[in-house]
Amino acid sequence: MSMMTGNEYRESLRRLKPEIYYLGEKIESVADHPAFIPHVNAAALTYEMALAPEFEELLSTTSHLTGERINRYTHIHHSHDDLVKKVKMLRALGQQTGSCFQRCVGHDGLNSVYSVTYEIDQKMGTDYHKRLVNLLKEVQSKDLMISGAMTDVKGDRRLSPSQQKDPDLYVHVVEKKKDGIVVSGAKAHITGAVNSHGHLVMPTAAMKAEDADYAVCFYVPVDAPGVIHIFGRQTNDARKCNCFLDQGNVDYGIVGGEALIVFDKAFVPWEHVFMCGEYEFAYELVERFATAHRQNYGGCKVGLADTLIGASYALAQVQGTDRSSHIRDKLVEMVHLTETLYCCSIACSCQGYALPAGSYMADPLLANVTKLNVTRHIYEIARIAQDIAGGILATAPSEMDWKNPKVGKYVDKYMKGVADIPTETRMRLIRLLEAMTCGTALVESMHGAGSPQAQRIMIERRANLERKKRLAEKLAKIGEQPLFVC
Amino acid sequence: MPKNSHKVKLALKYCGSCNPHVDLTRIARHLTKVAEARGDFQLVPLPEDGIDVVVILCGCPRACGNKAEVRARAGQSLLTAGESVNGRHVPEAHLPSTVEQELIKILDS
Repeated sequence: MSMMTGNEYRESLRRLKPEIYYLGEKIESVADHPAFIPHVNAAALTYEMALAPEFEELLSTTSHLTGERINRYTHIHHSHDDLVKKVKMLRALGQQTGSCFQRCVGHDGLNSVYSVTYEIDQKMGTDYHKRLVNLLKEVQSKDLMISGAMTDVKGDRRLSPSQQKDPDLYVHVVEKKKDGIVVSGAKAHITGAVNSHGHLVMPTAAMKAEDADYAVCFYVPVDAPGVIHIFGRQTNDARKCNCFLDQGNVDYGIVGGEALIVFDKAFVPWEHVFMCGEYEFAYELVERFATAHRQNYGGCKVGLADTLIGASYALAQVQGTDRSSHIRDKLVEMVHLTETLYCCSIACSCQGYALPAGSYMADPLLANVTKLNVTRHIYEIARIAQDIAGGILATAPSEMDWKNPKVGKYVDKYMKGVADIPTETRMRLIRLLEAMTCGTALVESMHGAGSPQAQRIMIERRANLERKKRLAEKLAKIGEQPLFVC
Repeated sequence: MPKNSHKVKLALKYCGSCNPHVDLTRIARHLTKVAEARGDFQLVPLPEDGIDVVVILCGCPRACGNKAEVRARAGQSLLTAGESVNGRHVPEAHLPSTVEQELIKILDS
């Protein structure tokens, strides 16, 4: 049996000893610490749903390497159907968690490195692809969760990696040994890092010859010596430790849980090195990863938006506004925006194509359009949700006051909406909407998978403006006027 | 192949050209000229019987024209998909000459 249950995943985390710091303290077990349990729960659902009959068609598939049934998160896409099913899987998971379930980053990393290592080997005579396939077999057979670590901390953004005053501002090779390499630097915003089994580290940008030491791609176990995790703060994260109802999304939290991963002279054996100095392939790897990851956002965020629409509708019913025409129109607008994003992700999947390695990737232009739309539409969906909810979203009393023997009766009396619906229902919906629209959760839609300008750059590169100009010139009868512009 | 012997029948199949990344007609025009110059192959419509080679011309990597039933029309096939020929990256400017080279390999084999 190659697929783990959610609890087997939790147990597997308990067997690891990663170095993790949060709020100034070293964390002993992410599977048991209240700050991390929601993130572990969300990731655990990627295991549970793969085994559930209702979802196995989306979350499990057959390995092209072994023929074994595997979790789709360890699969290399080999068809348009694979690409489409990834999006549908993400929507289904988003609906069930209302949060980020983290596992897609490593999945996208594996797919990107799979295809690029094949092409490096074809040109350079290296054996990176064979190494990656060996790792992939292990990931599939053990059902490992891999984080995808791409974003360097970057220091002075005007300077290339090799021009930085501090050489560690981009992850780089500091020493090559007979049995492996030693790396230093840090990767930022790494989703699911602390509750993964290992990290797939990739370069963050196009590289030139002078940056060759920074053109490095490798895998390290999460508890490898010299790998240190510093977990990021999130909006209202103290509520995880001293509240229940006020968390809003008690089981799954508000985002994936991001960490800064520091590599302090960490050793990587050659068998886990997939690029080491082949700088001319760095951009290709970045673009493939970015495409794969941006493809996702019209799946996962759409699933979240489904729950947001549901919460808005339910709260409108609790508050007695659900029959107002403007509220129903706003709900329709939320659905329209949500399904527009879904259309984008399905489209870039259907327009995907095969690569020399035999694996498939989504259409890069449409994937970037998908993500750029997410940076706008999810904010608009959240804005409408806040509009429907009302100012109470920002002013509701805490659950402690609701439970207070002296003032609890007032909270219960004056926070009530429609008479036959308990106040608690209203408070729970308010907190869920607060968790999903106020703070850290939205920033993930803006900068996750790259900031809007990164999408614009890739869109311009693939826009083919010259052909569009020729189409217009033909109609305007400027210059040559062929029957068709091809 | 002597010019008076059986000419190889070559058919073109376009993907449909919904939003091509490259100008496929340049490749087609170039093959027409090469056929005239060499004289050992001729361009024929895809529905014709006895086609030897089919060149599948796709405007982007999606390669919508690359279907089993199209490839089955001929003993051998060549695929262009955006800036690639038979899966190998080729800049747009070099597509016609690269297709010609690949075709000659087939004709000479």
